[in-house]
Amino acid sequence: MRILLVDDEKEFVSTLAERLSLRDIEADWVTSAREAEQIIDTRHYDLVVLDVKMPHMGGRQLRQILEKKQPGIKTIYVTGHGSEEDYKAGSAEAAYYLMKPININDLIDKIKTALAT
Amino acid sequence: MSICIDPLGDAGLTFFSKISASITHEIKNSLAVMNESAGYLEDVTLMARKGIPLDPDRLAALASTMLKQVQRSNAILKNMNRLAHSLDEDSRQTDLNELVELMAHLSERTVVTKGFRLAVTVPDQPPAVFTHPFFLQNLIWLMVNFVMTVCGENKNIMMEPAKTRTGAEIRFSGLDRLTDESVLDFLAQTGGMMLDALNAACHPAANQGRITISLPDDIRQPAISQQKQ
Repeated sequence: MRILLVDDEKEFVSTLAERLSLRDIEADWVTSAREAEQIIDTRHYDLVVLDVKMPHMGGRQLRQILEKKQPGIKTIYVTGHGSEEDYKAGSAEAAYYLMKPININDLIDKIKTALAT
Repeated sequence: MSICIDPLGDAGLTFFSKISASITHEIKNSLAVMNESAGYLEDVTLMARKGIPLDPDRLAALASTMLKQVQRSNAILKNMNRLAHSLDEDSRQTDLNELVELMAHLSERTVVTKGFRLAVTVPDQPPAVFTHPFFLQNLIWLMVNFVMTVCGENKNIMMEPAKTRTGAEIRFSGLDRLTDESVLDFLAQTGGMMLDALNAACHPAANQGRITISLPDDIRQPAISQQKQ
């Protein structure tokens, strides 16, 4: 499986990718929606983990673009923002909606479950 | 049963809750970085026990990241604390350089998330007025949210406090899409009420892409709009 992580917190997303790779999960990472749009044109991903709130374009808008580029791609949202509105909308759109800080084992479980459906 | 809510109090609570939500989001981001760094240390410790050598440079980088995030969280909490204490007294002598810079920090996440950039220029000699700091912070926050709707294509907003003959002013520029109608809309909402509470006045200059808030030297003086400029 190949995962793309998108979050504007570089140290968060790069370390998370490193930790996933230690668990034999291949994960690329980028820090903006624009970079995500570019990289998805060059590689296939099974699942994207998107930060809901990012500068210029948030994860919910980005998901729509990525879904058009790679129909059927699975999405997991992560966020530090806990508004009920975002949670309801995000839960309806993505496979899972996780709050930061996240537990890596929980994330891996969600990734596996999302990809199994 | 109807609930009577004081409009200024309601505006203040809305402001405080929005800032609190933004701050907790920032802190959660910082905690998430620390969580991954600590998790990575745990991972490499387990690997070291199995005989895989540790990389001292990577460990030093992790320590640096964690220290940086502690400083980041501390700065966020200091700003939140300053905002909370701005209600300790109704009105007091207020350094506008400090207040404007505080509001720029507190608004940063909201501004950046919407794709804007808010720059602050402060004079060497800080302008000070006797005012209600919480209402002024609330007004600046309302202004920041308003000016993002009338900002130019480059999405750069400038905020500058300055001393004036009758008190002080805070100028917002870079507002290429500012119109008199947009200002009237703003004033018809909470912005106008907050200006009244501060005895302040709003001076739009749509052709120059600028809007200025004039503050009296002392909030207890007659409103600036009634004074001869």
